[in-house]
Amino acid sequence: MNKNIIAVAVFLLGAVGLNAQVDRSTMPEPGPAPKVKVEEPETFELKNGLTVMLVENHKLPRVAMSLRFDNPPHSEGNKTGVSGVMGELLGQGTTNMPKDEFNERVDYLGARLNIYSGGASANTLSKYFPEILHLMADGVINPKFTEEEFDKTIARTKDYLKSNEKDVAYNASRVRSALAYGKDHPYGEFETQETIGNLSLSDVKNYYQTWFSPANAYLVIVGDVEKKEVKDLVKKEFADWKKTAIPEVNIPEVKNVEQTEIDFVDMPNAVQSEIALVNTINLQKNQEDYFPVMVANKILGGGGEARLFLNLREDKGYTYGAYSRTGNDKHAATFVASASVRNEVTDSSVVAFLDEIYKIRNEKVSKAELANAKAKLTGDFVLSLEQPSTIAGFAMEIETEDLDEDFYKEYLENIDDVTLEDVQRVAKKYFLADQSRIVIAGKGSEVADKLENMQYKGKSFPVKYYSKYGEEIEKPDYNKALDPSVTVETVYSDYIDAIGGAEAAKAINTIAFTATTSIQGQELSLEQRKSSAGKFYQTVAVSGNVMQKQVYNGESGYMEVQGQKMPMNEEQVKAVAVEANTFPELNVSEDAKVTGIENVDGSDAYAVKVNESTTNYYDVESGLKVKTLTTVSQMGQTMSIPTTYSDYQEVEGLKMPFTISQSMGPQSFDLKVQEYKINEGVEDSDFE
Amino acid sequence: MINKLKLAAGALLLSAVGFAQEVEYTEYDLDNGLHVILHQDNSAPVVTTSVMYHVGGKDREDGRTGFAHFFEHLLFEGTENIERGKWFEIVSSHGGNNNASTSQDRTYYYETFPSNNLELGLWMESERMMHPVIGQEGVDTQNEVVKEERRMRYDNSPYGNLLYAVQKNMFEKHPYKDPNVGYMEDLDAAKLDEFQAYFEKYYVPNNAVLVVAGDIDVKETKDMIEDYFGPIEAGEEVTRDYPKEEPITEAVHAEFYDSNIQIPMAITGYRTPEFGNKDSYVLNMISTYLSDGKSSKLYKKLVDEQNIALQVGAFNLEQEDYGMYLVYSLPQGETSLDSINTEIEEEITKLRNELISEKDFEKLQNKAENSYVNSNSSIAGIANSLARNYLLYDNTSLINEEIDIYRNITREDIKEVANKYLKPNQRVIIDYLPEEKEAE
Repeated sequence: MNKNIIAVAVFLLGAVGLNAQVDRSTMPEPGPAPKVKVEEPETFELKNGLTVMLVENHKLPRVAMSLRFDNPPHSEGNKTGVSGVMGELLGQGTTNMPKDEFNERVDYLGARLNIYSGGASANTLSKYFPEILHLMADGVINPKFTEEEFDKTIARTKDYLKSNEKDVAYNASRVRSALAYGKDHPYGEFETQETIGNLSLSDVKNYYQTWFSPANAYLVIVGDVEKKEVKDLVKKEFADWKKTAIPEVNIPEVKNVEQTEIDFVDMPNAVQSEIALVNTINLQKNQEDYFPVMVANKILGGGGEARLFLNLREDKGYTYGAYSRTGNDKHAATFVASASVRNEVTDSSVVAFLDEIYKIRNEKVSKAELANAKAKLTGDFVLSLEQPSTIAGFAMEIETEDLDEDFYKEYLENIDDVTLEDVQRVAKKYFLADQSRIVIAGKGSEVADKLENMQYKGKSFPVKYYSKYGEEIEKPDYNKALDPSVTVETVYSDYIDAIGGAEAAKAINTIAFTATTSIQGQELSLEQRKSSAGKFYQTVAVSGNVMQKQVYNGESGYMEVQGQKMPMNEEQVKAVAVEANTFPELNVSEDAKVTGIENVDGSDAYAVKVNESTTNYYDVESGLKVKTLTTVSQMGQTMSIPTTYSDYQEVEGLKMPFTISQSMGPQSFDLKVQEYKINEGVEDSDFE
Repeated sequence: MINKLKLAAGALLLSAVGFAQEVEYTEYDLDNGLHVILHQDNSAPVVTTSVMYHVGGKDREDGRTGFAHFFEHLLFEGTENIERGKWFEIVSSHGGNNNASTSQDRTYYYETFPSNNLELGLWMESERMMHPVIGQEGVDTQNEVVKEERRMRYDNSPYGNLLYAVQKNMFEKHPYKDPNVGYMEDLDAAKLDEFQAYFEKYYVPNNAVLVVAGDIDVKETKDMIEDYFGPIEAGEEVTRDYPKEEPITEAVHAEFYDSNIQIPMAITGYRTPEFGNKDSYVLNMISTYLSDGKSSKLYKKLVDEQNIALQVGAFNLEQEDYGMYLVYSLPQGETSLDSINTEIEEEITKLRNELISEKDFEKLQNKAENSYVNSNSSIAGIANSLARNYLLYDNTSLINEEIDIYRNITREDIKEVANKYLKPNQRVIIDYLPEEKEAE
């Protein structure tokens, strides 16, 4: 080694003599910010109004094309969702070519083609460009709208909406937009079962006729093509596309609240609160504030190095991630700072958000923060430029966002020009801590009172209550006063009476049932057997194949997942033991507690907490068991799985639920019980 | 390039007009033997600086496996002029990104920056080659990191040992028999001076290629390269003489147990020729035919029509001394691994006995061309191709000519290659099975 080091040292001396400018002991300084060469598009317009932009790039023999509309935002009103349904129906074949043939052809050519509500996009080798352009034009101009595909799409959309009903994040973002923009604003309206139910195939056709028009359309083509050919081909393919007049649209004005308030939406199943501080902003790319706002947002909440993340996650551990973002739009946009936080830290998180927003408004950021934010934005921009789709997007934005021709050429210099003062100035102007809607969707019974009582710098905020559909409502009574005479014993005995009485229930030694549902064309079936000796057996099968099995003999048990058997651990035994009985309510366990009255699907129910992870709900009126809430912790995330019971019918003198519904995350399904077998069909050996 | 391309059947109008320009490049050697390849493309202000070292998992001695992969980590620890732990921060605060990877045959380090940081990239890579700090502290730290990586990617990950299961049954003498990441006990036992000796042997300019691609000025870049890399001393010439394997003439059956899985996997492996060999390209095409896309033969048959497999894949793992051709499948429901293997062999038998259809052949050509075009779609991708083509294939111009190799493959070639390498008696059949975890 030594010898080598000397040799290198000698060599270095020589090198220094020749190249005195290199001092490798210090890190080289970056050169001047590179001038970005953004390709100039060739632009021409067809008679029907279609604007075609062509960026010739012969580096690779491939072509990317995209069609977009610069239509004004417009309300869909009581038919909200019509654009989405239309988008689903596009690309399902044309009046000239059946669906399967259309898709197979695209595959054979090795290309990709997608047509949707806001336009179309495709990528192909340049030699197949003419055919792909033809297929795209055919799909856009001659879509085939059939009742069959329409019905399928409506059914799918309704399922999708249903599956989201209990999704806290989905409801939170819907209410957030509705409140920030207003429900009659195109950006604030949303689809519901009702608006989708209002749709007919002719609505879809009308929407297509009105808005899928070349009048405001831009076709951007980037890649290995020649102007002359493109012009001829585009004319040939798109000239027949009929121009229709785009309707005049009045867009309602957006307003921020006078003073900061909390807007609360109750999601009884929430284990995390969705918090968003939101205000509308008027920010467009062609305004001088655009770059300072980008930098300010990067520092406040633009990623894993930003202040919100460092505060709420790294420092306090309230959440997996906290971010902020600013939109830009010529009609309306919002600033949003948001996170999903644990229920019990909902109020503290609001404080942490406000602290950070006030701080960036009241104090200058550090020089290092400014420099790092600029470096990141610069790198992101520069590295994104390689992809042709980026350049295509720029070309169109220059037109539609009314940008200076050199906007993207001067982009990096403009980032570089942002000063500490700029950041503070725009933070004050756009991050409206004093006029913010703090929209929170969470579990009212645990969160609402704390929010009413919270103070920030000696002031409390007005708390308003909203339904999941963004309508202001009276404060719901989350924790109805519990009559002190209500105990676990009374709740249980009311339940047993409701189903047919203790005598009848005690006469039952075993219960077995099979319940089924269909998910994406596959049959899912749940089979359960229980015995009054405290034993339990359950399988879940998909298309006849058993995916999951639980067996418990009263003392120990095992789980089997896809053939792999594992003994139950202590926790799992505890969880199964509370269920392992024909009617567990016949015995009152010491650990069980009535925790209050909560709302279950519109009716009041007594909540009985059986153990740490399980709460059962019994309807106050009918006494029947209507819901079980199980909490599962997995990989640091807590998830609650609600199971509801309905459609009680009498079986051998006892009322039993014939519909069992379960939802996990965005998925939910209704299992229908085929048959209950009472005191038959169960062997003791089932539980071993 | 235009004239070299034969038109695929079904090609249309424009194909006669414009095809890709060649990827242009300059290449030369520094006095210390470092090979340099420059590719200038000023269309986006992006620059990639990369170094590929001709050292990989196979460059080891028994009892000292996994060194090259270990160095992939160790060489981020810092240098005489780059403080320990600062490497990643320097890259991100200059708007760049970086990474490294190790195969059995080579190790690749690269950064991509906005082009005003070209000098920074050269400085960092030259620091790494010239005088990285290889000390006990870094070795201890990275030993822990590599252990975590091994746990995460292999020991704790479903099917993580798939490749190892094949290697240990396909090779007896050649270093390919051992995992690229090495055995932990070997790394635990290795002494600091062994790591230092390994560095001096393999991480020398004459065993590496430097590629600078993107928004550069060639003259200025050459000067900077001379400044930063010129002073690095050449090493001894690296020679390799690894044992040759006897041909497999009788099918090998083996079982491998993985505690992270529930569904077993059927694996069939074949030993195939070294990369660069034309047959190796044919085998790539056979993979596409068998399992790329929903209309591919094995997917359509096993997954779509017969419903006996959840997943099926075929790929040709190209390597310097021998390739490994793998077909794997996850059975659905109660399907046995044997019946899956029978169905797979049936399709491969067809490949050996019949010519594939004209239409399928055209689709293969389209797909080959598509993936070729997209493989050169980023500066970072081009840099990697140039480095690989020079250092491993000994032919930098492959970047423009590889497509011709595919274009010259015929349906008869496919049949011939299937008969040469994909015969039942040359198979290594592995039942990759769930290992029951003991009850606690």
